[in-house]
Amino acid sequence: HRSFHRNKYQNARCILNSGETKKLPGREEQLEELKQFFREHLENKSSGSLYVSGQPGTGKTACLSLLMHSPEFALSLQTVYINCTSIASIGGVYKKLSAELKLKSKGRTEHDNITAIQCYIQNSKDMLLVVLDEIDQLCSSKQSILYTIFEWPSLRNARLLLVGIANSLDLTERTLTRLNARCELKPKHIHFPPYTKQQIVEIFKSRLEEAEVLDIFPPVTIELLAAKVSAVSGDVRRALDIGRRAVEIAEQQKKAGNKKVNLQKFVMEAEGNIENLCKDILEPVQVTHVTAVVNKVYSASQSLHEDIEQSFPLQQKIMLCSLMLMLRNQRNKDITIGRLHEVYRRVCNKRNIHSLDQAEFVGLVDLVQTRGILHIIKKKEPRFGKVQLSWDEEEVTAALCDKQLIASILDDTASLNN
Amino acid sequence: ATKRVGTPKRNIHMSNIVEEMIFDKQDVLSTPKLKSKRSLAFGKEKDIEKILLEVTPKKPVEETPKRVQRSNSKYVKDSETPKTPSQKLKMIRSGELTPSFKEREGIEHSKLSKNDLQLARERLHVSVVPLSLPCREKEFENIYTFLEGKINDKCGGCMYISGVPGTGKTATVTGVIRALQKQVQEDMLPAFDYLEINGMRLTEPRQAYVHIYRQLTGKTVAWEHAHALLEKRFMTAAPRRITTVLIVDELDILCNRRQDVVYNLLDWPAKTAACLVVVTIANTMDLPERVLMGKVTSRLGLTRLTFQPYTHKQLQEIVTGRLGGSEAFKGEAIQLVARKVAAVSGDARRALDICRRATEIADSSKGKEICVNILHVQQALSEMIASAKVQAIKRCSRLEQILLQAIAAEVTRTGVEETYFMGVYTQFESIANFVGGILVPNTGQVLRLCSKLGAERLIICEHTRNDIFQKILLNVSTDDIHYALRVTPEATQ
Repeated sequence: HRSFHRNKYQNARCILNSGETKKLPGREEQLEELKQFFREHLENKSSGSLYVSGQPGTGKTACLSLLMHSPEFALSLQTVYINCTSIASIGGVYKKLSAELKLKSKGRTEHDNITAIQCYIQNSKDMLLVVLDEIDQLCSSKQSILYTIFEWPSLRNARLLLVGIANSLDLTERTLTRLNARCELKPKHIHFPPYTKQQIVEIFKSRLEEAEVLDIFPPVTIELLAAKVSAVSGDVRRALDIGRRAVEIAEQQKKAGNKKVNLQKFVMEAEGNIENLCKDILEPVQVTHVTAVVNKVYSASQSLHEDIEQSFPLQQKIMLCSLMLMLRNQRNKDITIGRLHEVYRRVCNKRNIHSLDQAEFVGLVDLVQTRGILHIIKKKEPRFGKVQLSWDEEEVTAALCDKQLIASILDDTASLNN
Repeated sequence: ATKRVGTPKRNIHMSNIVEEMIFDKQDVLSTPKLKSKRSLAFGKEKDIEKILLEVTPKKPVEETPKRVQRSNSKYVKDSETPKTPSQKLKMIRSGELTPSFKEREGIEHSKLSKNDLQLARERLHVSVVPLSLPCREKEFENIYTFLEGKINDKCGGCMYISGVPGTGKTATVTGVIRALQKQVQEDMLPAFDYLEINGMRLTEPRQAYVHIYRQLTGKTVAWEHAHALLEKRFMTAAPRRITTVLIVDELDILCNRRQDVVYNLLDWPAKTAACLVVVTIANTMDLPERVLMGKVTSRLGLTRLTFQPYTHKQLQEIVTGRLGGSEAFKGEAIQLVARKVAAVSGDARRALDICRRATEIADSSKGKEICVNILHVQQALSEMIASAKVQAIKRCSRLEQILLQAIAAEVTRTGVEETYFMGVYTQFESIANFVGGILVPNTGQVLRLCSKLGAERLIICEHTRNDIFQKILLNVSTDDIHYALRVTPEATQ
């Protein structure tokens, strides 16, 4: 019994990974549009270009790889998929493409590869589908590569379907303005909007049903998770990540609780009623698990509240307080490390705390920077580096005001001036 | 003709690695391919080539015997004999030759001859990582369950670990890997491959591919080739693929402008065929949001773990844990170190270094009892958390001190941090006249003083060619100057 239930967590964890999938709920519209585009061009034997845009994690690559492997198009189309981040340099895309098409080019230069590809496009009998993923990597100052590639579909006798995938909505309009001059060159644009709450719920349900572990997520928790993610980014990778983390946390908590259960089991076995135990052995993911993960991810200064209590080194606290003191009371928000150091020293001296010298202090500010509270704009001399607060001023003050020492520093305007 | 060959000239790249050369008596001087090719190409030079072939072996015959005798005692392999530098390089690249260090000839001191302090110093060295890290049990558990789950599930994933330096990130991760490998040996867990790269050890982000591939196969290839081979490995499904755990230390160094390396390293785990688990380590907590592109952050995921700086209690526990049962340290001495370090950074390395320095001081002080007390620690602290600037100002010559005072006075007069030499010189003159008994130097001499203080970094000044218009900035606080000069007897006179 126990191994079976343990597998449920495992199954849920496995099924919530962000690998490739066969089913894409929530993307029916876009899939249909893509299919329509392919079918049209297949029937007319004409070439065309397409630009697919959307935020990360909205399923662009998943949709296209699904279509590329679907039997409807796999037989009638010759498909090539290239991820543009995997090429050595921007110009290397031609070499990669000719290698994928198994072409024999005359020489090794870029130009030879281009002529070989163009020759192939103009002479081949089959339709060719070229998918260029992360096409924004091919941008250069003159955009010669992108222009060359997007002009291929308009070559004579070409039967080429070109699909470019990228994140930005207006890449083709912004960088390839010359394509607007000729209508047949302009790529058709399909946008993948971020997933809505309902779509994320559907994705979760379909995935969990597939592994038959729907009972691990009560509907309320899925709704909460989907609402949080869709409100911020609509990135399904994030949603799956949060779901998986929630399952992991639930499992860990259960493991911790297992010791108690074992004891209970021991007692119950002695009494002879095992059925009673098996009923409540699967603990579904609670709302608290999801909120714990979400809060950790989407809030910054909340962690400061906890840190101040626990493990924020004293000198770093004083440094941060001095900075807040200066920001609150001085009109000039242009704070250099040197000026901050002087105020910090006065604050330290007043409280009989040993103060660090400048070389150490620069290191100290750097350590606080790694927490993301500050940002230092580096200058030629470390003394003149500018310190900027990256978090909300009022939130940080509110977090700092809790402690007595810190609150007293924030009121200490006398140490600002000599 | 069977002839012996000489030692190939040691390659420049291998200058720091001493290779054990093994030669056999039966070594045949087979003409390397390159030579034969060349002799074909330059037909006329064939004769010269022949002469060279006859002439060259003679020298080595006289040189080699020593080597042969030495190596005879060890294993002898025919195939492992490099004949030319290029052959040797080839063998190094294919991983047939393993780099080895020359061993020391003297015998190590036995442990018995060391006193308590020396033993303590050895234990306190940063490189001696204890088997189980104290005060990091929660983080250990966290990483362990993550990796164990991934290996059991046979699916890929990413994790991001952050924390300030010296908080035990890398040590904990390698500890987890060791524990997992132990589990594998006991057949409690499926086997897995373990690779690691460190961003700081790469000359260029793309060299990461080369390092990963070398750890997989032992061969060194160019990065384009390595990348293509790795992509082939991770993209295509293999029936008996085992999980690969890849540790990427210093992730922020791998981020270049295109971010293609980071993208690839984090994109492979998303492939179902890869079975790759990537654990990335960096200092910055918000690196994904601040530096990485949106698509890379999205792939990195939300499985994150932050190592908080050590508190003083934890640092105390670490140091006492290192010392074992040794009595070399007084309890309050350890506490002082722990409190001082925890107040600044919470860096365990710092605490251990200060403790080591304290043992050295105690050792040299030749006290009757061999024990580090609070005074030794205080001395070590003042050395390591030292502010040398006040001392430096005190040790300056009289004229330099007056110059510093003049700059400080000019800053207070104008209210701007940036001063010009002209104004400073006027202040200098008036102060010198006020103090009296000083012949006021001319501007050329004061410029020399300026450049000397600039070299000491007490002030920051421009190049001297700007003459009286050069900008001068103080690199110490004005308080420091007043403090240093008030205490010295000359200033009070």
